[in-house]
Amino acid sequence: MPDPDSSRAKAASTWPLLWETLRAQRRNLLIGTLIGLAWSVGKIASPLLIRYGIDRGIDEGEWLWLWVALIAIAGMVAGFFTALRRFFAFREARWTEARLRERLFSHIMSLHIGYHDRAQTGQLMSRSSSDLNQIQMFVVMIPITLSNLAMVTAVTVILLVTDWVLALLALASLPLIQVAGRRFSRSIHPAVLAVQAEQAELATVVEESVGGVRVIKGFGAEAVQAEKLRTEADDIRRESIEAARIRAKFLPAMELLPQVGLIAVLWFGGNQVIDGDMTLGTLVLFNVFVALLVFPLRMIGMTLAFAQRAAVALGRVNEVLDISSQVQDPERPESLPTVEGSDPNRGLGAVSFREVSFAYPADVRPAEPDNDAGPVLDGFDLVLRPGESVAIVGATGSGKSTVARLLVRFYDADSGSISIDGVDVRSLTLHDLRRAVGIVFEDTLLFHDTVRANIAFADPDADQERVERAARLAGAHDFVMGLPDAYDTMLGERGFSLSGGQRQRIAIARAILADPRILVLDDATSAVDPSKEHEIRSAMSTVMDGRTTIVIAHRPGTIALADTVVLLDGGRVVARGPHADLLVDEPRYRDVLAAMDADADAEADEAGGRTDLGSPVGGD
Amino acid sequence: MFRMGGVTDEDKLDSETTKRVLRRAVRMAKPFRRTIAAALGFVLVSTLGLLMGPIIVKFAIDNGIDDGDRDVLRNAVIVYVVVVAIAYAASRQQYIFVNRAGEGFLRALRVRTFDHIQKQSLGFFDRYQSGVLISRMTADVESMAELVQWGLLQFVAALFLIVIALILMLTLSWQLTIAALLVMPIIIIASRKFQRDSNQAYLEVRERVGQNLSELQEGIAGVRVVQAYAQEGEQTRQFVSSNRSLYRSHVHSIRVSTWYFGLVEALGVIASGLAIGIGGWLVNRGDVTIGTVIAFVLLLAQLFEPVQQLSQLYNTVQSSAAALDKLFGILDTEPDIEGGDQALPDRGALVVDDVGFTYPATTTPVLRDVSITVADGERLALVGPTGAGKSTVAKLMARLYDPTVGTISFGGVDLRDATLDSLRHRVVVVPQEGFLFGGSIADNVRIARSEATDDDLRRALDAIGALERFETFEDGIHTEVRERGSRLSAGERQLVSLARAALVDPAVLVLDEATSSLDPGTEVIVERALDRLMVGRTTVVVAHRLSTIQNADRIAVIDAGQLAELGTHDELVDLGGRYAALADAWAQSLPT
Ligand SMILES: Nc1ncnc2c1ncn2[C@@H]1O[C@H](COP(=O)(O)OP(=O)(O)OP(=O)(O)O)[C@@H](O)[C@H]1O
Ligand SMILES: Nc1ncnc2c1ncn2[C@@H]1O[C@H](COP(=O)(O)OP(=O)(O)OP(=O)(O)O)[C@@H](O)[C@H]1O
Ligand SMILES: [Mg+2]
Ligand SMILES: [Mg+2]
Repeated sequence: MPDPDSSRAKAASTWPLLWETLRAQRRNLLIGTLIGLAWSVGKIASPLLIRYGIDRGIDEGEWLWLWVALIAIAGMVAGFFTALRRFFAFREARWTEARLRERLFSHIMSLHIGYHDRAQTGQLMSRSSSDLNQIQMFVVMIPITLSNLAMVTAVTVILLVTDWVLALLALASLPLIQVAGRRFSRSIHPAVLAVQAEQAELATVVEESVGGVRVIKGFGAEAVQAEKLRTEADDIRRESIEAARIRAKFLPAMELLPQVGLIAVLWFGGNQVIDGDMTLGTLVLFNVFVALLVFPLRMIGMTLAFAQRAAVALGRVNEVLDISSQVQDPERPESLPTVEGSDPNRGLGAVSFREVSFAYPADVRPAEPDNDAGPVLDGFDLVLRPGESVAIVGATGSGKSTVARLLVRFYDADSGSISIDGVDVRSLTLHDLRRAVGIVFEDTLLFHDTVRANIAFADPDADQERVERAARLAGAHDFVMGLPDAYDTMLGERGFSLSGGQRQRIAIARAILADPRILVLDDATSAVDPSKEHEIRSAMSTVMDGRTTIVIAHRPGTIALADTVVLLDGGRVVARGPHADLLVDEPRYRDVLAAMDADADAEADEAGGRTDLGSPVGGD
Repeated sequence: MFRMGGVTDEDKLDSETTKRVLRRAVRMAKPFRRTIAAALGFVLVSTLGLLMGPIIVKFAIDNGIDDGDRDVLRNAVIVYVVVVAIAYAASRQQYIFVNRAGEGFLRALRVRTFDHIQKQSLGFFDRYQSGVLISRMTADVESMAELVQWGLLQFVAALFLIVIALILMLTLSWQLTIAALLVMPIIIIASRKFQRDSNQAYLEVRERVGQNLSELQEGIAGVRVVQAYAQEGEQTRQFVSSNRSLYRSHVHSIRVSTWYFGLVEALGVIASGLAIGIGGWLVNRGDVTIGTVIAFVLLLAQLFEPVQQLSQLYNTVQSSAAALDKLFGILDTEPDIEGGDQALPDRGALVVDDVGFTYPATTTPVLRDVSITVADGERLALVGPTGAGKSTVAKLMARLYDPTVGTISFGGVDLRDATLDSLRHRVVVVPQEGFLFGGSIADNVRIARSEATDDDLRRALDAIGALERFETFEDGIHTEVRERGSRLSAGERQLVSLARAALVDPAVLVLDEATSSLDPGTEVIVERALDRLMVGRTTVVVAHRLSTIQNADRIAVIDAGQLAELGTHDELVDLGGRYAALADAWAQSLPT
């Protein structure tokens, strides 16, 4: 949750963002404002004409219908430009919103994973919807307010020219509106901020409840979530009513102040007419004009309120845009070596981790500065020759997935170096690096899209043949053909309309299609049944043939895919060798695999290997 | 791209529907009627105050200024001051009361919609994208907040203004009123067209907003995959195209409505012109005074300003009506799983009787003629190839879906007749798609039993051998796991899910591959723990690992949606069927 203070400090820096966005649209905004000016001419002309209509047309009986015709023309001009001004104002505002949203999205997609670890989807979504909407509402007001201001100025001038004493009296109260407006915006700011923060929290509760619906239903926890939502809904109500209280304090005053002018006009103007110093028409004109000002002034008040909300919203949008990705392309990127020939990956894909240490960044808590959970990787060394395959085995939480994440620079190692084909991963562009490495994640995430689009994710232009080949190799083709629309079947959100094993196979196909020089399978067959595993294994050997592969696995069947096995413990590689050898020589390895051999179990117990079972790596 | 409930013809929000929606909203607002009545009272007073202005001016002109009577003028001014003061006080109160009612209404709407969503079966969640549901609960409700915060107030005020102004005009001079209202027919016809077009446009906009949010949500949820495959550019392109179509629908809605505001404005001025023309003629004939004509012109300004405002607000009302309509769409979806009124007995056999099942919105059955009786206290393993239907059986057992044919009962009570409360207490399922909520490890375990103390949680975590591990984290079991548990490793996430199961004390526990991400060493510990915990209770496990399966009393082999084999490990191996082949595959996959 952004705390209000920091946001306020940010508010100062929000205007440049808006300014920058608006500058690109300055032409249309200018046109909108010019149209607005034309509108004010029409709008001002009509009361003037009405005055002549009354004074000349009715009182003196001259040209009555001419004045009526002129009034009608002025009305049409005002009407025409009203429509045009509205159109421009709204269109530009939506355009600002649309472009900011695109910018926000592309920025969010490029932010480092460390940011996403902490960010809440509900919060980000409310930036992109509610907050941008507030900004949009303010931008609408820009051309409208500018032309309103022009009109207020013009009316003021006309009134001053007509009778400056009366004009001063009529308009004396108006500066007060300005003062009230300023005070209003100062006090409404935190209130609006609080409302928006609560709205984002509610969005988070909803997002989680929908995403976690299977768990909620599985445990019958609906009431718990309902309670959370009630709390948030109550908070929103409380903060909104607080904001309303502030509005109630200022807005009526701002709306009614012009009436003071009207009263003054009636009192002094009336006396002047009685004295014969002024015509009745002029008095009416004053009345009409001051009344004409009521609405634009009220709008200016509203604009102030909107500007406040927009400032808050912009601050929050800016908070996201201001974060720069901690994982970035190098200034002078190097490129990976390539070879000529039909198979561009042949003979390439050497990987080396040297003395790599890494700890996940701790949450910033000023109170207790140094309670880092220890490093996850601590002097991790692993070298893979081109085309070699290695299985990483280790207890839960020992850092296996972390190794994969470091390889693609989801995070940067704290020390040590990671290189591919002799090039440090930090010297590569992220694009090159990530095209070179294909990961199948442990938690398979598919997109709400067709099967084809999911498999061809890395290369949306891939033809049917390539998609099908990848699917066959992953053992997915058969069941895909059984789906209602085969490869064009739309998957449910996150791919939840498939079974767990089916999802994993699509994810494997996705990686195969990317044809990376290094393939990482992070526990990618946990939900694939053993009978199929056999099939997949033979298919996978085709994929892995000549391709550097890192297999993270718990099951002997999967481990057997790799040439060698490394055992990860305490953040480093503690043993390396063929599966069978490790099983015999390494008690810790037997522990992790719970080798069911009774003898081995007994041996392990004797060796004291059980003791570190299940103890997390971070502890030491 | 597949569109959830795109705007179709039946979706059309014509003025009929708008009316229906608003009527329903009014019914929903019943609990707040006192506050609303008070608010309306204040609106009435402050509006009257505003309108008194021109009347006082007319009076002052006709009786004071024209006659040169300064006393009358002074009194008029004093009255004016008093009226403004009253209007000010009333206006302050109206803000407070309108908001109190409005926010109360929105709160009720949020709570009610959410409760309703939670009552839905999984089929509903298969159908609706979560982004759409979220946009219903946020963007749609908030679009109403705009209405509630100032729109409604101005709407009512504008209506009052118009009605009162009309009455005043009629009392001043009926001839002038008719003259001024010559433009009325045009306004009525234009309003009709405007309503029709903009209704449609607003529905479209609301739909696209939901779509856009879905797109955004999926992008964020999938950011790791997107980055891993260097597809940020492509994702952004897709988002931009959805965003542009949202923009286009916004522009469309502006285009179909903007001319209307110009027209109303023009007609307002023209009406004043007509009043002056005909007024002048009437003054000449001596039918009305010039003061009346002036008051009339002033009143007309008061009349057309709100008419224009009203059409402006009509926009807001309409987008709110469109939002409400979408919300009602959800509220009208009867949950297809509703509790019965029988409490389930404490214990009993779980009987799956001749069950067939087809997922909603699909046509091919995924289960056919499945009959399994799980005796009280038995441990049953479900095995079978990927996509066979094991998870589906698991979900049916906990009534996350209802079987299409056949019945599932516990202790002789059809699950459909059981109260949802007793059902959720007796049968607990740890789904294959585990999910951690933002919050601490402790909060996440507590999902299973909200009243559990920290000690209970520790005991549950300890029971599955995970406590020691989590105690070494920076805040122990109060460590934030962050959204979807991104702070934890895959296995650690499963341990948290399993601890939930250890916290509750169900009669039947269904574990759907609940240990698939654990290393075998940890898995053994967890399984021993669950054995202890579930002593004498019924357990159904879906698993792919031999060790897990061998411990079961009986094994059910599901293949292609049918129960292929059922028996003990030894029986099935002897049978020499699918299970025997499976066991064989296991043996082979252990290249020791
Ligand atoms: N984003 C994160 N922030 C902080 N700590 C993390 C984060 N991700 C993982 N960890 C911690 O780092 C350790 C290693 O995690 P990792 O995911 O690499 O384990 P793993 O070996 O893949 O385990 P598993 O077999 O369960 O998948 C774990 O103790 C985990 O709690
Ligand atoms: N929500 C859903 N909507 C439509 N079809 C579904 C849905 N969930 C699963 N299916 C389909 O139903 C079939 C059975 O799925 P189920 O999840 O029960 O398989 P499973 O036996 O658990 O497989 P696995 O071992 O891979 O988890 C599969 O073909 C799957 O594609
Ligand atoms: Mg892992
Ligand atoms: Mg399953």
